[in-house]
Order: sequence, then structure tokens, then C-alpha cells
Amino acid sequence: MARIVGDKTEAAIEPPQETARGQSALSGRTRLALGAMQGLGLGGFYIIVLIYFSLSAPYFFSTSNVVNILSNISVIGIVTLGQAYVLIAGGFDLSVSGTVPLGGVIFTMLINRGLNIPEAWLIAVLAGCGIGLANGLIITRIGINALVTTLGTWSITVGLAYVVTNGETVAFKDLNQGPIDNVVLGMPLYVWTMILISLIAFAVLRFTVFGRMIYAIGGNREASRLAGIRVDLVTTSVYVISGGLGAFAGVMLAQQLLAGAPTVGANAALNSIAAVILGGAALSGGVGGIPGTVVGVLVLGTIANGMALMQVPSFYQQIATGAILLVAVGFGRLRAIFGQLAG
Amino acid sequence: MAANLDGAGARAQSGAAEVLRGHQLAKSYGGHLVLKHVDFSIGRGEIVAVIGENGAGKSTFAKIIAGVVQPEAGQIYMGGREVSIQSPRDALRLGIAYIPQELAYLSNRTVADNILLGRWPHRAGVTSDEAIASTAAAEARKFGIELHVNWRMADLTLAERQLVEIVKALARSSEVLVLDEPTASLTSGESRKLFGILRQLVRSGLSVIFISHRMDEVFEVSDRVVVMRNGDVVGDVATRDATRPQLISLMLGAAAEELGEQRRDRVLTQPALELRGWTWSGEPPIRDFNITVHRGEIVTLFGLRGSGGEAIAEGLAGRNSKFSGKVVVENREFSVFRTITASKRAGIGYLPAERKRDGLIMPLSVQTNLSLLVLRALSRFGLTDAAEERRMAKRMRDTLQIRLRSMSQPVVTLSGGNQQKVVLGSRLLAQPRVLVLQEPTRGVDVGARFEIHHYLRGIAEQGTAILWVTTDVEEAVLVADRLVVLREGSIVAELTGASKTQGQAVAMAAKDAA
Repeated sequence: MARIVGDKTEAAIEPPQETARGQSALSGRTRLALGAMQGLGLGGFYIIVLIYFSLSAPYFFSTSNVVNILSNISVIGIVTLGQAYVLIAGGFDLSVSGTVPLGGVIFTMLINRGLNIPEAWLIAVLAGCGIGLANGLIITRIGINALVTTLGTWSITVGLAYVVTNGETVAFKDLNQGPIDNVVLGMPLYVWTMILISLIAFAVLRFTVFGRMIYAIGGNREASRLAGIRVDLVTTSVYVISGGLGAFAGVMLAQQLLAGAPTVGANAALNSIAAVILGGAALSGGVGGIPGTVVGVLVLGTIANGMALMQVPSFYQQIATGAILLVAVGFGRLRAIFGQLAG
Repeated sequence: MAANLDGAGARAQSGAAEVLRGHQLAKSYGGHLVLKHVDFSIGRGEIVAVIGENGAGKSTFAKIIAGVVQPEAGQIYMGGREVSIQSPRDALRLGIAYIPQELAYLSNRTVADNILLGRWPHRAGVTSDEAIASTAAAEARKFGIELHVNWRMADLTLAERQLVEIVKALARSSEVLVLDEPTASLTSGESRKLFGILRQLVRSGLSVIFISHRMDEVFEVSDRVVVMRNGDVVGDVATRDATRPQLISLMLGAAAEELGEQRRDRVLTQPALELRGWTWSGEPPIRDFNITVHRGEIVTLFGLRGSGGEAIAEGLAGRNSKFSGKVVVENREFSVFRTITASKRAGIGYLPAERKRDGLIMPLSVQTNLSLLVLRALSRFGLTDAAEERRMAKRMRDTLQIRLRSMSQPVVTLSGGNQQKVVLGSRLLAQPRVLVLQEPTRGVDVGARFEIHHYLRGIAEQGTAILWVTTDVEEAVLVADRLVVLREGSIVAELTGASKTQGQAVAMAAKDAA
């Protein structure tokens, strides 16, 4: 019957396709502009924050304070890089709040037993990777939702940290075991470590096939599976990375404190997720990136620092973190709505 | 059922070497056997169409070949050797590519990223946007398809996205290509282009399994037709020996006799729905649009995609508040509805085009979905009358012949046509005076389509006014008392009686658009 749609009319059917094309070109450009605005948005916001604190907080705009900010964010920064991988892959890792203290505690107990730093460090990171592996396997094999899984492993790992230390802070027996504190080229080694890991994390996510697979499984799991991507393997990998980086950060923190404490890192999950979301990622996965994530960490770290300099009690920092998260994400959302109305 | 030919026999006629064979493939969902030990084979360079009603098992069959689901029993052989297909990855490795009915792509990534999904060109794991874009463009060009490879998927039209998915699969299939209703959102020109490419590829040895519900496509593109019904293969014939009525009767079994039914002419005098002076400056611009639908009348609003029918339907549903103008429903005058509630209160029942996005709550039960619009009427002090809800839902199931195992089954487990009946049923339970339907049989196979048409004609005869927005010309002609052709936001023709033909409708819809 539809053969009546002969060749003559068929030729006439194509052109409306062209209008559709023009239309989507427009929306493509609009979207690009909106995306750029959003990217600039956080950077712009950061600049405003910097100007504000430069004017109102004493000593804020000094080299030593910049180093100070970078020092303060180095631990959470490393945790956040792992969290970014997990969130972009469409997951969620609350257990970093457990791998951070557990990593630090394991490292401390091992060096106190006479292991050297690289050995103890490696074992602590491997333990973190092991927790990540457990997360990944539970999520992909058993099929428990990521939120529930990592909530469970968070509790288990924090509990483990308490058990092995008997609930006490374990000080380094040898106070020379924290070389990460040494200052090189004006900044402590751990700042350089964070910068190096950020660059690696950026390069892997942006330029490698593995990085693209992370975006792919976060963007659409089923499409990725149909395309032959080993979704379970990639999913598990990002949890292993996040677990490893969490423990790595925990070791760094222990070296800064010259002690391993089960009580540290409780805010790591919330702060790292907040920073990644602030940096443009979505809980649904598939979007975001390392540059945005780093700016997100910087924003939160700078505000905490500025508030401390202004002698605002630290409890208020937590309120500020939450408010900034909501304002930043809400602002982007409002802009999207207005963008649609304008378009 | 005399036409129930032997499959091997039909293939033998084509004389091609067997490339893939499924032996006694079986699959059940929740204890219900949806594929009943099916045998199937396809030769090298052959295009086999698989047709059948809703729930006939054709999509399940395709998914088994593609490794998306695993059969409970049976074996798959390729080139005579048994193969194990545990995942899509295994299938791809064997040269079997698949396009699912529900397109699966990354909407935030570029076209190029999607075409090469999971097999991006790289050197030691390192890749680049430029390399991906140029490789993808080259692959698309190889099939004569021009795509803007750097655009995001989300910025493409539905048809363009479908073309991307087609290129993605074509570039991966070396042995067998499995297409599950690939033309659902393509224009006829684009479909023809696809068929042209398929014919070219089969000449170089590719085999194609083509799942469709469009008869004309089956005849246009396939060498052989496999008909499925209730999980069985009930027919396997060379396309050149097949006739349309024969295939339909195989597909429908006992239900086939009713198909010949004709529309009676009736005198229609009482207007039920009037649109007066509808205007908006969207795309396409619509200026001073007027239309009347009488009680008991079916008016189809036919046009190519983007000619304004969707906008008007959505305006009537209260989903598009940018219109200005008046609506008269059963002699009560309203300004254009600003909210969905206002439209519903005026007595309009609206069936959205995208049932999964706008019509259904997929994880919830059939019963819950059916009662969605009448919850208030069913409730006293916030408590739902469960017995009454069940009774209403069952009545709708029986009237619309929704095929299901249980009322508490999640709608996501139903086949497309049955899902569509659930959406329709939920609208009908609110007892609208006027029905506004948007593409009511999109992605629905012949059997369910027939049932939906039949039912809607029935309620029209009982006095409901129906404004039926469709881009499907066959449907527009078949069901209409009056066929209104839209082009770029304006009415260009009203066809009734003898002038109401597909040729006329298409010619009017497309005229001087070139």
C-alpha cells in the first residue's frame, strides 16, 4: 500500500529533514554556549571567592597562605579524584570515609612494626584497592545498589580501623617516618603528590580508551554492554581506583599527623562527592571531568581557609559547604531552565 | 494454516550456504514460555524478515541471537559449529551486530564516540577526539551516510540518532546483522536508503535478520519471511511466494477475519471539540488554526514530522502553554489550557506519543498504571478502594484485550503493543468526551494496531470525538472519517470519501516543500 509513496513524492519528503538539521544546529550551538557558561560559572565563582577573601581576610593573599590552602586540600583532593571516576562511571562511593582512616591506621601499625615506608604504603594502598574490589564485586555480581554497598563497606572499614587500633590514635614510634611533609620547591611533597596524581587522573580520563569507557558506562550502561564493553570490569576498576586513592590519601594524612587515627576522614565521602558535583558531574553519571573536579576541591578548600582566617568557627564551614553545593548546582539548573525558555 | 511451509525448504530454494542456525531455542519469563523451542536458520547473503504480533517472541529471539539474553534451552550454530553467545560481546566477536528496538546510545557524547563505542582507535590505550572523529566519519561515508560526527547525540533528531545507531551496527557486523524494527522513526526516504545499503551489504556476504511490523517493508527488502505467533514459528516462506493476506492470517491466526471491516458513513452534526484561532510562534509557526471534531467522528491530523500536529496535540493536552486561542469542548468555551489538569477537567483524554517517557510508570503494575488518572475518583479520604480499582482495571484488560499474566505484573515486562493498550486504557477510564491521540500505534505491531484501531472506531461510533494526530499515512487514511493534512503549521487539505487516499495525502503533505 505504502508503495504509493512513489519516487516522485519521496524526493519531496527529504527537505523537511534539512529544516530539522538547521534547528538542531542551533540547539547544538546554544547547548555549547550554555556548557561554556556553566564551566566559566564555577571558575568565575572561584574568582569572586578569591577577591572577597583577599579583601576581607587578613593574610589571605600571600604565598604562604596559597601553600596552606593547597596543603589543606591535598588529602581530600586525592580522595576526590577517585570519587570523580566513580561518579562519572555512574556509581557512588561512600566507603572512602572508611578507606581513608583504615589506610592511615594500617600504614601506622606497619611502620611501627618495623616495615619501611614504601612497603607499608603499598600494603595500605592494596588494602584500599581490596575494599574497592569488594565494592565492585558486590555491585556488579550480587547487584546491590552502589549507595547501599558502599554505605555498608564504609561502616565495616571504619569499624575495622577502630578494631585494629582498639579505638585509639596510634602515634608513630619514629617521628621521622613522615617524609611526605618535607618541603620541596616551596611546597610540601604531599602537595606535589596531589598535583601529580591529578595530572595522571586527568590524562587517563581524557585521553585513554579506559577513560572513554568510564564515560560510556556512566552515560548508558546498556548501550555500553551492547557495544561489547566489559561494563562489570570497568565498574569494578573505578571502585578499585577509588579505594586505592582513599587509602593513599589516608597514608598521606597519617604522615602529616604522625599518627594513625580511626576518627579521621568521616567527612571524606560527602566532601568529595560535593566537590565532584560542584565541578560539573551528575549523579546519573556520564558527565564531568578532572579540571572541574579540581576547581570544585579548590573552591571548598579556599572557603574553609578564608573562613578560618576570618576566625569563623569551623562548624560554619560545614554549613557553607552545603549551601555552596546547593547554590552552585541550583544556579546551573536555573540557567538551563532560562536557557530553554530563551531558546 | 496451509502456508506453514518448512523452513529448511524455503531456504534451500535460495540456495545459500547456512551461516547461522538456532536449534530448539527456548526462553521463558516468570514461568511463561515466550519462545517455544524455535528452529531458525539463515543463509549467507540472505535477508530474513521476522514478523509477528505483540509478544510473539520475535524480540526475544533477536536478543538471544545478539547475546543480550541467554536461552534456557537450545543451541546456536555458526557455519555448522556450535557457538556460545553469553553476552553481546561474544556476539560481536562472532560478527553478529544488533540494533535494539529501544535505541541505546550515549546522549551526552558525540556521534563519533557513539559510532565507535567501545572500539575507539587507539595507540597503546591512548586515543584522541580527532582520530575518533575521522574514523567515524570514514565509516559512515563507507555506507553513504553523511553525519555530523562532532555533534552531541542529544542535539540530533530522532531519525538522525537512528541513522547513527545503524552505522554503528553496520560497521560491526561481518556475518549477521540483527535489526529490531530499525525504521520506526525513519522517513520513507531514509528507510529506502537503509534498504539500499542492506542490499549492497548482503551482496558482499552479510546476512540480515530484519524484525518488522511493516508489511510493505517486508515485501520491499526481504528474501524470506518467518512468521511467529505465541512463541512459535508458524510460517517460513520465500517472500516472492508470499502474499499480504496470507502473512497477516498467519500472524493473527483466528483474529484475522475481522480485518476486512469497513468504515460506515454516518451523519455528524454535533461539534464536540472546536479549536478557534490557535496561534503560536514556535516551530513551525501556526497562525489562526481552526478545526472542529464532531461527536462520533474520527479526524486524523496527518503531516510529516514537524508540521505542527504534535504541537497542537500537546496544546490540547495542556502541555504547551505558548498557544493563544480558544477551545470549545461540548459547548463550553475555554482559553488554551495552561495546565494538564485544566485539559483533563474539560473532558479531554490525551494519549502521548512516547508511552515510555510520558505515558507509563514502567516499574509499577498494570493495575496501578491503569488507575493512574482516576485515583481521585477511586479514593475516599486518601484511601484507594482496592477492590474497585481491580474491577476497573480488569474491565479495561478485557475490553482492550491486554495480554498479561497478572494485573500486578510491572508494565515494563509487557510487549510494546500491550503497553500501549495500558496507556490507552488509563485514559479511557477517565471517560473523556474527546480523545486526543498522538501516534497511538507507533512501535506497535500489526495485530495490536488492528485491535487498537478496531476499538477506537467502536468508541467513536458510541459518540466519542477523536482527534488523531499521526505521521503514518496508512493509518491516517484507514481510520479517518475526515483526513486533515497539515503542512508547516497550516491545513492544506481536508480529504473525505473517494479523495481520501494515501497518494493524495502524501502529495499534499509534501507539496512544494522541495
